[in-house]
Amino acid sequence: MSTRALISGERGAARPLVVVFLRGAADGLALVSPWSDPHLPRARPRLRPGERVGARLDDRFALHPRLSPLLEAWREGELAVVHACGIAEETRSHFEAQDLMEHGGVAAGGWLGRYLRTRPAAARGALAGVAIGRALPECLLGAPGAAVLESLEDFSLGAPGPAWRAQLEQLYAMERGRLGAAARDTFAALLRVEEIRRQPAAEEGGAAYGRDEFSTGLRRLAQLLKADVGVEAAAVDLPGWDSHFAQEAQVDRLADRLATGLAAFRRDLGKRWERTTVVVMTEFGRTVEENSAFGTDHGRGGAMFVLGGGVAGGKVLGAWRGLSPEVLEPRGLLEGYGDLPVLNNYRDVLAPVLRAHGAGAADLAAVFPGHRPAPLPVMRA
Amino acid sequence: MSFSRRQFLAAGAGAAWGAGGLRAEGWREEFRRWFGLPAPPELPADLRVPDAAAPDLAGHFLNRLTFGARPGDHARVSRIGVDAFVAEQLAPEAIDDSACARLLRHECDELGDPRGGLFGAREDGPGVGELFEYKDKVLLAQLTRATLLRAVRSERQLLEVMVGFWTDHFNVDPSKGDARWLKPAEDRDVIRAHALGGFPALLRAATLGPAMLWYLDGRENRRTAPGERPNENHARELLELHTLGVHGGYTQEDVEQVARCLSGWTVRGRRRFGRGRVEFEPGRHDGGAKRVLGHELPAGLGAEDVTRVLDLLALHPATARHLAAKLCRRFLADEPPDAAVARVAAAYLAARGGIRETLAALFATPEFRSPECRGAKFKRPFHLVVSALRATAAETDAGPALIDHLLRLGHAPFRHATPEGYPEEAHHWESGLLWRWNFALALAGGRIPGTRLAAGRLRERLGGDAALMAGVLGRRPRPEEEAAFRASGDGLALLLASPAFQWS
Repeated sequence: MSTRALISGERGAARPLVVVFLRGAADGLALVSPWSDPHLPRARPRLRPGERVGARLDDRFALHPRLSPLLEAWREGELAVVHACGIAEETRSHFEAQDLMEHGGVAAGGWLGRYLRTRPAAARGALAGVAIGRALPECLLGAPGAAVLESLEDFSLGAPGPAWRAQLEQLYAMERGRLGAAARDTFAALLRVEEIRRQPAAEEGGAAYGRDEFSTGLRRLAQLLKADVGVEAAAVDLPGWDSHFAQEAQVDRLADRLATGLAAFRRDLGKRWERTTVVVMTEFGRTVEENSAFGTDHGRGGAMFVLGGGVAGGKVLGAWRGLSPEVLEPRGLLEGYGDLPVLNNYRDVLAPVLRAHGAGAADLAAVFPGHRPAPLPVMRA
Repeated sequence: MSFSRRQFLAAGAGAAWGAGGLRAEGWREEFRRWFGLPAPPELPADLRVPDAAAPDLAGHFLNRLTFGARPGDHARVSRIGVDAFVAEQLAPEAIDDSACARLLRHECDELGDPRGGLFGAREDGPGVGELFEYKDKVLLAQLTRATLLRAVRSERQLLEVMVGFWTDHFNVDPSKGDARWLKPAEDRDVIRAHALGGFPALLRAATLGPAMLWYLDGRENRRTAPGERPNENHARELLELHTLGVHGGYTQEDVEQVARCLSGWTVRGRRRFGRGRVEFEPGRHDGGAKRVLGHELPAGLGAEDVTRVLDLLALHPATARHLAAKLCRRFLADEPPDAAVARVAAAYLAARGGIRETLAALFATPEFRSPECRGAKFKRPFHLVVSALRATAAETDAGPALIDHLLRLGHAPFRHATPEGYPEEAHHWESGLLWRWNFALALAGGRIPGTRLAAGRLRERLGGDAALMAGVLGRRPRPEEEAAFRASGDGLALLLASPAFQWS
């Protein structure tokens, strides 16, 4: 297929899936606070969670005040929240938990990479999988094509002439294995991005991105999506959530970036938002109880968000048992509150999203091997 | 005096490069001699290049024990033999490295002058507290620069490789808190001081190092009231990353107990007298009895708790296995054979954590010396950049323009945010090919300010294009490589961007 054909045609029918990873373990109890639960202020007497409550989502939960830019999506039924969510394995290691979550279990390659492999050949272009940033996240490992982009302008080769590029391409064509494949992806992506640079897409009115790296990344991703270059899946990181120390200012700043970026992205995409889904995930939640440094330590259950035109939103979904000590998960020998248990497996949030994006039952078995699915109703039928 | 000389030098050298080309060369040498500046890398007399179709043993040892062979290195290691080369590199104190030291003093003199300093002659260097007198950005820039200069120019290559290894193992991102000022001291007093010493001493220095106490919140770990929960961050990484490994047989209880053992250790903040000093505050320590990995620690040991814990961990079989696997992944293969890992772990325990003995055992394994091992490690970006500079005998100030390439490649020193350090395996780095190619083009095309190479002179000294290619690749070029080299329009850039040069 020629490059021209890949750029136009059915490309417009793509249903992009955007995965935002909050690295460092975001405090789900701060982002989506169980405001009516009497145990939260007892477990966090110095953090005083009662003073950090934003809009009430229902009779149990309230959104963090800095997440209020997302309220519009919530009211319009395009934002769903799953609390007490995470991996089944009991680990409080950032790296192991991220690894398990991004691989989708104990499996080779990442879940998003495996999902892209299940897509029809026409949907597996050089920019089918895109990571906005500097490195490929684990979830995209094993994708048939995955490009790491910081900006479109960046993605060019400063070669002295066409002969140099042609000779390099020939040398890499002889390279077997993953490096040869990575080179082929890179050359294909170069061609595609050169096309986009010739015809850039305009920003929709009213999209108010922030100036931080996260907003900048989403803005660039929106450019790519609007250029219809066949992005099927994209990964964007928002790191820095490991709030062991004085967490209030840290969580405020990050929640602000998260909500501002996502709200602008939603607006910027215009009618493409109808076909787009954004999943926000983190490796685990944090301790119910505060620590000695006005922070929280590594816990278990966290919060997950799903946004998009096809989301059955306006609801906090999944199991929830509150924070009373007898329903918490014991952690080690220390006295006090245990951890919020994982009542909802993250794969039961991701699977229905992939399903809505065209994955069949057999595909899902390949994406999440060994997982017995119990999908949550996060997407409209 | 030194400062104005630097400014003059920067302006003068820039003008000379602007005027361009070889005509300025003689003038530069005059200038250099006049100011007593460090000489550029000298090419040795014996410049014979490898002539086998595949990398040989000498080339393999150079690939893995150094940041890449310079012109003449292969001839020298072939002459003395790989065993003598290993012995030499394992005794860095006996290697004359004065040219590199002079270079560091000139390039990094914001920290070095007037007393000899952090990167040079003075053994004691500025005290930890003195570092706070500098701007944090200057410290990071100079530390990064010194690291890169040493990787390119030091004769103590294995030491530099191991400094990189331990910098990843005990990763500290200095952008957090006072670590911005404390990391250069840690680099000198913890990582460099022990890089080829004993792991138990390295572990203690790293655990109680002021930068680490900031980075992993150890300084905030206290128990001053009943029910106060200690901060577990440092304890967990100590077990998971620094010693036993993630499946090293510890439990959540062990993490909590180790956190209690570490409570009370803190570091004085930058607004206090004695800033940067690490101290044990008994009032913040949890003095009760503890149980770590099945061992009872009686109540009231105080500062002795951490010694007991580190003694349990440093020579634990799980630690030996974890370190051996990491070393084998670095030096041998991304997925090292179990037999080699077991042998290295046994050597580690037999040597009571001696790093030299452990490395010597690794380099002696049949797996390391087997032909299948050669040319099969994908260079991480830092290694790629430094090996390109070394292979072409490039002259560099390791300044911001070069660092920019490392940032783009995702592998600038001291910029890894999370405690596990930069990853080792190839699959993490393959997606960055475009930036590797652009670096090769910029280097060969003379478009990195502060870095220059004399490709014409090098080709002439080595004896033509085929010899230049063999020198860079560590083996005879294949016919298709020679053809591509000639047809490309910039053969040297193509060579450095080629698949073969990405492997070591």
